Amino acid sequence: MLRLQINGEERLVGDDVDPKTPLLWVLRDHLSLVGSKFGCGVAQCGACTVHVDGKPVRSCQLTVGNVGAKAVTTIEGIGKTPNGAKIQAAWMEIEVPQCGYCQAGQIMSATALLNSTPSPSDSDIDAAMAGNICRCGTYIRIRQAIKNAAAKSV
Amino acid sequence: MKTFGIAIAVIIVIALGIAAWLLLIPGPIAFASGSTVALSDYTGANPTGVPKELAQADVIKRGEYLAHAADCIACHTAPGAPAYAGGFAFNLPFGTMYSTNITPDKETGIGNYTDQQFLDALHKGVRADGQQLYPAMSYTSYAYMTDADALAIKAYLFTLPAVHAPARENRLSWPFNQRGLMAAWNLFYKSDERFRPNPAQSAEWNRGAYLAEAMGHCGECHTPRNLAYALNNRSKFAGALTAGWRAYNISGDKAAGLGDWTDADLSTYLSTGHADGHGGSAGPMGEATDNSLTFLTPGDIHALVVYLRSVPAQQSDLPHTMETPAPASHREGATAGMDPRGEQVFAGACAACHDWTGVSPTSKYATLTGVRAVNDPSATNVAQTIINGVNRQTAEGTIFMPGFGEAYSDDDIAAVSNYVTTRFGAQGAHLTANDIASLRKQAAQQ
Repeated sequence: MLRLQINGEERLVGDDVDPKTPLLWVLRDHLSLVGSKFGCGVAQCGACTVHVDGKPVRSCQLTVGNVGAKAVTTIEGIGKTPNGAKIQAAWMEIEVPQCGYCQAGQIMSATALLNSTPSPSDSDIDAAMAGNICRCGTYIRIRQAIKNAAAKSV
Repeated sequence: MKTFGIAIAVIIVIALGIAAWLLLIPGPIAFASGSTVALSDYTGANPTGVPKELAQADVIKRGEYLAHAADCIACHTAPGAPAYAGGFAFNLPFGTMYSTNITPDKETGIGNYTDQQFLDALHKGVRADGQQLYPAMSYTSYAYMTDADALAIKAYLFTLPAVHAPARENRLSWPFNQRGLMAAWNLFYKSDERFRPNPAQSAEWNRGAYLAEAMGHCGECHTPRNLAYALNNRSKFAGALTAGWRAYNISGDKAAGLGDWTDADLSTYLSTGHADGHGGSAGPMGEATDNSLTFLTPGDIHALVVYLRSVPAQQSDLPHTMETPAPASHREGATAGMDPRGEQVFAGACAACHDWTGVSPTSKYATLTGVRAVNDPSATNVAQTIINGVNRQTAEGTIFMPGFGEAYSDDDIAAVSNYVTTRFGAQGAHLTANDIASLRKQAAQQ
């Protein structure tokens, strides 16, 4: 039995789950948290990004056995954090998403960026967001929404 | 005139002396103090055979253990092809050579080999038809293997499914395509002498020496070669470039070698292919770990550690590894002001797992801090890992990094290799696209 700390709650995962299973599979298939998306499965697209102890991590590469007692935040819980709420509001304000598939990951990476860098430059945004791919090409709106969110006081 | 004759004679003697020094090299365990004795005269614990856990096992089980220890599968299996069916390409300075099928197929494998023919191949490098094998088949190492161990391996190989896989034709340039010339090489380098224990050393050392020299043939990659492409044991385990990958210095040198590793780290690395603070094995060493070393018992791993520890320090031009992580911000650190291309590739393809600090939040296997390859200013293994990725099956699950060789240009791979070694290592590399093209070619299975 694994005890995971997800979005501030303890979630139990039964022995039927191999500790080598990637966290993303456990979130989606066992805990019904389907906001995090499977994109590439090799940490190259960013659609599965969650926070583990505040750091953005590709949940398709992190095994559930390695999560331990660390605090996991998913797209379902990020709106309860100050920067997560700001980012989501900024996203809606200028309608960033197009198809939306990558956006959960984009919002998780953008929130982590604001957490570590409250007023990010273009270069900071590039460094933090380059690993999150959007096939609709919403990058320009993503950049703008991050700047808008940063400009708002908490 | 007489003086002139003496001068010529002296020059000839000196020249012969230099030639002899260059060509005649000490044996692989000659570095240790004390003299060796024949195995039959040795009174210590038997350094050969299987460990005590398998002492009662049948010959096939014993052979399986020993085949793993000798890592036959590494060279006798081509990528994606059936195990032991040969076809693995050796890219050498004189052309490409292919390993052969050692499944029990009677037509294309070793199904018709008698025990004596098998021993001749392992010990003398002579195949069933009497032709010389090239020393890519490491018979100079396997010569140290006892008959009993070699025949146990044969018994195991003969239980494998027979695969029909004819040998691929070697593509060697003249004169290297003349097998008969190996007879001359053998005059200098073939000993055909079984392992001789050293009573002045511990039982564990002797077991470790047998495992490292007769079985695992570590030196075939980790010891530099001389002009005749034979292992130069004067620089034993000083590291060498083999098939486009760098086999690192595993001598006792503190900066470049294993001198600063703890015994515990070394054991963990050998048995799992990873030690925290030193990183993990990839490429050929990843294969050696997964195909061979992980099968060894803890006692045998310990013996290897004892033996490795005894190998005298050999200096090489590698810096001591950098053990502090890089700054969290991409704007800080040794990479500030570098060509932005490396940073762009790193941000898009690498930072998500490896982090800007080099300490991975995802997996200890992805941490770059302290890894020898990252602290190698040639960036050879960094570039190869980027090109080929990592895909190891371990007890802890799959260790995976995608290969980027098909996705990124040589320019991009050079830039990101330089960036990674500069940001996370002791000294940055200066690879060019041409270097990457060459590294791709050296490691290619063609």
